[in-house]
Amino acid sequence: MNKSGKMTPREKSEMVWGWLFIAPTMIGLIILNIIPIFQTIYQSFFKTGDFGRGNIFVGGANYAKVFADAEVWQALINTLKYAVVEVPLSIIISLILAVFLNGKIKGKSAFRTIFFLPMVAAPAAIAMVWRWLYNSEFGLLNHILPGKTNWVSNPKIAIYSIAVIGIWSIIGYNMVLFLAGLQEVPKDYYEAASIDGATGIQQFLNITVPLVSPTIFFVMVTRIIAAMQVFDVIYMVIDNNNPALYKTQSLVCLFYKYSFQQSNKGYGATVVVVLLVVIMIFTVLQMIGQKKWVHYN
Amino acid sequence: MKTKRVVALALSAITAMSMVACGSNAAGGSASGDAAGTDAPQAMQGSVEGELTVSIWDENQRPGLQKIIDEWSAESGVKATIQVIGWDDYWTLLEAGASGGELPDVFWMHSNQAQKYMENDMLMDLTDKIEASDKIDLGNYYQGIVDLYQSGGKQYAVPKDIDTIALWYNKTMFDECGVDYPDDTWTWDTFADAAKKLTTDEHWGYAIAPSNNQDSFYNMVYSMGGEIISEDKKASGYDKPETQKAIQLCVDMVQDGSCPDLNTISESGADVLFESGKVAMVTQGSWMVAAFKDNEYTAANCDVAVLPKDATTGKRVSIYNGLGWAASANTKNPEAAWSLIEWLGSKEMQEKQAELGVTMSAYEGCSDLWVNCTDVFDLNGHMKMLDADLVFRPYSKYTTVWEDMQTEKLKEAWTGEKDVKTVCQEIADSMNQTLSEE
Repeated sequence: MNKSGKMTPREKSEMVWGWLFIAPTMIGLIILNIIPIFQTIYQSFFKTGDFGRGNIFVGGANYAKVFADAEVWQALINTLKYAVVEVPLSIIISLILAVFLNGKIKGKSAFRTIFFLPMVAAPAAIAMVWRWLYNSEFGLLNHILPGKTNWVSNPKIAIYSIAVIGIWSIIGYNMVLFLAGLQEVPKDYYEAASIDGATGIQQFLNITVPLVSPTIFFVMVTRIIAAMQVFDVIYMVIDNNNPALYKTQSLVCLFYKYSFQQSNKGYGATVVVVLLVVIMIFTVLQMIGQKKWVHYN
Repeated sequence: MKTKRVVALALSAITAMSMVACGSNAAGGSASGDAAGTDAPQAMQGSVEGELTVSIWDENQRPGLQKIIDEWSAESGVKATIQVIGWDDYWTLLEAGASGGELPDVFWMHSNQAQKYMENDMLMDLTDKIEASDKIDLGNYYQGIVDLYQSGGKQYAVPKDIDTIALWYNKTMFDECGVDYPDDTWTWDTFADAAKKLTTDEHWGYAIAPSNNQDSFYNMVYSMGGEIISEDKKASGYDKPETQKAIQLCVDMVQDGSCPDLNTISESGADVLFESGKVAMVTQGSWMVAAFKDNEYTAANCDVAVLPKDATTGKRVSIYNGLGWAASANTKNPEAAWSLIEWLGSKEMQEKQAELGVTMSAYEGCSDLWVNCTDVFDLNGHMKMLDADLVFRPYSKYTTVWEDMQTEKLKEAWTGEKDVKTVCQEIADSMNQTLSEE
């Protein structure tokens, strides 16, 4: 063993090749993600001028304004509401679907394709189709259901209607990940369990769930991050006149409004830095929490 | 195995097709009226030497403008390509282009954004060129549009077009309800009465959303003697009783049911309700003619008349706006860019623009032929509004900031949550705050 810290030529060459292989990803990440993050943080301390010129340093003024801004707090609540509905429901539904589609069913791959289809569609197109489904005057939903519900303009329910679109769009993708996880579960566990007289539900809760828990954890972390950044569906479905706008716009919607519609980039940057901090807190909490329930073999 | 593949292929083909079908009407009715033919976002082309890039946002105008520009190309020998980018993406991409020094050679300017671009020297200064030109005399265009593209005594764009607002109505519904068609004797009171009579279980009399400003309530405000912003652009006009009276008229119509409530109008815009036979009247801008003409229902049932006047002031007002042709300050082809703008602004081409039915023209007296561009509607409704009191669309440096706020607050009046007076006072306060920071 080489403990002196010197590398053998073989180790050296492995290191060089290792770096070479990850270099494209690393360079991409640094240029497209990491540098912009710091630029955004930097920008949040400025009152920005037009076309990126004449920025004035204002210290923490933007942050003071954000914390005093009721609209930002409401947007944070809206974002959390969306995440709380979308993430658990999409995980549960897609896990159950994955279990069924992992079994012996006729036309399995046709079903898999159908559930995966929303992932292939452009989010803006999905939003437009749902917008018409939800339309209170001409929409299919109100046509079938009794009564007249303002699905996307009643401030009390609009955010949940939006979450339904989110769930519908994502279950296919989650399902594919769970299917991959389910392939890893050895069949003999189920055989042993059925000999002991365990029912299907018991098998699901005591064998399937613990054994795919690493996948569940991965899906949960990535989905929470994505759900906190929800924008396109809300932007497409809820327009300026909508009485539910205040109760549905997410933090990213506010960021878009300030940065691009009103070209107040400094304040927009501040809003998005707040979002970054919130997402980081959630992710750290999950990383700590995983020790309690995720089983890695 | 083979069937599996066929099924998968068929399914993906269906998805792909449904995507294409959805793409075309994404931008429905954009708030400030400039109907946008939206495609997927694409890059905006910058200036290339020896060739002109022209950027616009309205697909409906492309064929006509292409003809006019082709004639210029034939004469000058310079190739020019029109690039259409939908209204929303247009400004995002234009700003990105401006920040990176990659603007197209020639492009449209709009009152929402002009000030910002002019003050930061993004546009070519045309003052001396206009002075030396024998084709362009700024005295020939509607004054508000000329002034709009002026900053610090310099002219940055040549006026392109003008729009007017008129009253679109559904003849079939008027006949059914036994109401006479609107004409130039109508006042806003006649209008409100008619809207009430035209409201049945099947349809509403009129439709207006808080964001229908230029095409709707701004006209009422100025007709009743109020204002949105003071002439020096330093103060809000929302604390004036005349302004509040006009807003009250709209809110009353919403409250008594002759207009759809806020929930309905926010899900389907006034133009959509009109096109699907859900309302009998809408006030809309001349930029909607193309859309109403292409819609089978409106083409068969609807027509257009002048806006009502106010009984007290006797004023009939059309809030107008006009685009300008501007060039990039650092274009690689300054000579050609100016030559094209001069061409587009000349009397002959302004007449041609109207004749081809692109839009009414900014050159005064050149729009007469526009009336004949369709025989489906009697476009005199829009034409005659040119003789009414023309008031330029209220704007300041950061128009969108206070316009967004105004829409946001007016919603509370629409729902009846707060009374009109309180809401207007709140708008005035917030707007004065914004204006003082400009």
